[in-house]
Amino acid sequence: MKKRISTFWMLIVSGIFLVGMVAFSLLYIRFSNSRKNIASNEKYSSYYAMICDDNESSFVRAVYESAADKGREDGIFVELMGENLSRKYSKEDYMEIAIASGVNGIIVEADDSPKMTELINEAMSKDIPVVTLFSDSPASNRCSFVGISFYNLGCEYGEQINKLIDEKDFTYDKIKVTVLVSSSEADNAQNLVYTALKETVDKNAPYRKTSKPVEIRVVSVDTTNSFSVEESLRNLFITARDEVSDIIVCLEEQETESCYQAVVDYNKVGEVTILGYFDSQTILKAIERNVIHSTMSVNTKQMGYACVDAISEYKKLGYTSQYVATDLTLINQVNVNRYIED
Amino acid sequence: MKDKLRNMSLQGKMIGISLLVNLMIMIVNIALLIGINNLSDRMDMVYKGNIQLNSLSEMLERVQNSMTGYLNTKTSDALAQYYKNENEYMLMVDELEGGISADNSIRMGRNIKVMSEKYLEVVSQTIEAKRGRNVEKYRIRYENASKLYDYLKTYIDGLNNEQFKTNSANYSEMLKTLRMFETISNVSMVLVIVMSIILTARLTSELVRPLKKLTERAETVGKGKFDVEPLTVESQDEIGVVTGAFNSMTENIQEYIEKLRTSMESEQKAKENELLMETHLKDARLRYLQAQINPHFLFNTLNAGAQLAMMEGADRTYDYVHSVGEFFRYNVKKGYETVTVGEEISLIDNYIYILNVRFSGEIHFKKEIDSSLLKVEMPGMILQPIIENCVNHGIREMMGEGEIVLSVSRLDDVCCISIKDNGKGIDAETIEKIMTGKIAEESHSGSSSHNGVAMDNCIARLKLFCKNDNCFSIISDGKGHGTEVIIYLDINEHEE
Repeated sequence: MKKRISTFWMLIVSGIFLVGMVAFSLLYIRFSNSRKNIASNEKYSSYYAMICDDNESSFVRAVYESAADKGREDGIFVELMGENLSRKYSKEDYMEIAIASGVNGIIVEADDSPKMTELINEAMSKDIPVVTLFSDSPASNRCSFVGISFYNLGCEYGEQINKLIDEKDFTYDKIKVTVLVSSSEADNAQNLVYTALKETVDKNAPYRKTSKPVEIRVVSVDTTNSFSVEESLRNLFITARDEVSDIIVCLEEQETESCYQAVVDYNKVGEVTILGYFDSQTILKAIERNVIHSTMSVNTKQMGYACVDAISEYKKLGYTSQYVATDLTLINQVNVNRYIED
Repeated sequence: MKDKLRNMSLQGKMIGISLLVNLMIMIVNIALLIGINNLSDRMDMVYKGNIQLNSLSEMLERVQNSMTGYLNTKTSDALAQYYKNENEYMLMVDELEGGISADNSIRMGRNIKVMSEKYLEVVSQTIEAKRGRNVEKYRIRYENASKLYDYLKTYIDGLNNEQFKTNSANYSEMLKTLRMFETISNVSMVLVIVMSIILTARLTSELVRPLKKLTERAETVGKGKFDVEPLTVESQDEIGVVTGAFNSMTENIQEYIEKLRTSMESEQKAKENELLMETHLKDARLRYLQAQINPHFLFNTLNAGAQLAMMEGADRTYDYVHSVGEFFRYNVKKGYETVTVGEEISLIDNYIYILNVRFSGEIHFKKEIDSSLLKVEMPGMILQPIIENCVNHGIREMMGEGEIVLSVSRLDDVCCISIKDNGKGIDAETIEKIMTGKIAEESHSGSSSHNGVAMDNCIARLKLFCKNDNCFSIISDGKGHGTEVIIYLDINEHEE
């Protein structure tokens, strides 16, 4: 009798096992079927395009991230143009694409060129608000400019140089200050920085502790292609072997990092003082190691938010603030620890 | 349900088992097939998007080429071609999935859609300008169209690439699923087969178990051991029926044997009882007979009588009393011992003398004796009862003179003792009764006054002595023709 019952149970157990196995295999297939398409199903009501020179720079990325964050909050998708394309286009091309794609707003790192101005105007005429970011196109009808005050930036650099002149003991009889500007830059932003810088330094001349003359020069850095910045910086060190500047002012993130590496490579640490731009982790580490003296940090989060807000405001009200200045922060040995991420 | 299953016929059970096992395998197979079908369908779908995009790109190229062709040649053929291509391109673009989404593909799809509209608009404007022969306008528009065409191409390529990436991811995942599924199916097939084997073995052993039991039991019974426990009937199938029949068969056989044994035992007991009773009866009768005569007293009395007669000179009285004494002495002494023929004959002489005295010479007694046979042994008290019968039943009831002839003669190795009278004779029926002993039984059961040593006793003793049933015969030719009793005795060598 016992045996009979066990067979009966065996029948039941094997039946359950069968059903379970069949169900499992079918469910498994179903499940693996529906596993995709879970992500990225959010829908957005608006679509903004962001067009920048160098999508890879951490400055641009930081601004984009904050703009995208702000957009997500408001149901707007912000796309950094050219990210998924197999070809690289110019900013102007991207402008054209954005216009042709009928985006709801454009954030563009503009310049003074007439082509850019024309495109901005075209977009504006097609009800696509354009916000210029970081560098302006003053002649265009863009609804707003979001950026830093380059004059203030120049003044800040000038004050840093003045402090350095007073604090540091320079070996040569001339104190050489080099300001690196990009060659392709058609806008006058960097000129503005240079002017403000020179003005501040010159203004301070009568109060200097040292009698050594200060020579400020502008060196153009080739930015025509991806690798030219680094090469032209190296050239700076190679050609002027003994007469390398005492102070180098970098106005770009990539320049700052390249310059830092060159100083280390050519054994000029301590001899050459770098005033950098932007707060990437590499730059912050360099400040901590005392290779870069200080850097100017832009509040990228504020910038990104301001861009999205400006377009939305313009769309809503038909007007917005023409110029939104974002905060500048000086980072040096004293406060660098606050910014370094572990 | 279980009982129902149990009561199914053997064939039904077998079919059930094979159905069950095959069903199991079939279910698993179907499940596996469905799974594989599903997967292969999805495999087919994986790169469908890419194929679609490739043809979209191709169509875009055709639109552009047909436009260029028209601008170059301005043939209506090229224009017709253009319209056809444009139409097809529009349809294809409509199929694209588009929208503002974080998903790159969907967003790019949207951009392609919007840009395509713009592109087609520009293209149609170009063609219009060409028709209007506005050279400057169509040149500029053509450039614009070409630029848009380039962007579109790039976007389609980008989307293609994007889709390819996700598709590849999907594909590799699917491949993984397929591998996994393969493993699952292999394992489950093996499991199912193992399970089916176990199940089949289990179920068939269940089927065969009662049969095995039955076989074992049949062997036991075949060896002659009938007192076995009845088998339990577990099911109502053929085996169950056979088991039941077997059970009742063994039970019946057992019962029958028991019955036979008891009946035999009782029969034997009854026979034993009968025998015992007969012996007892005989014994009692003998004791009764013996008790009738106190031999010593009788002898002493007779001896005293004889001596008295002698003293008084009455010789005949002396002889008579002496003969009576001798007769009874013999009777007491040799009653049931083995004696010789001579001793028996002298007893007969005494007896006849006594009778003749009693009945005053009525009986004529003749002897024809071969004296060489006088030493032949025989049981005692045989001849006297026969003579007594001759006298009582043969001669006394007849008219005229009675005659008894005693002859002892040799016939080869046999001694024949014949006692012949000329009395009233016996009919064949009575002879038969005497020979089989029935007459004695009748006389015992009846209130016959007859006592003494009966014929049947004589016959029985003779038969026992001779160890031969044919040692005694009675011959009579019927009423009034006399009777002859013949005794056949074996002559032993040493006796002579």
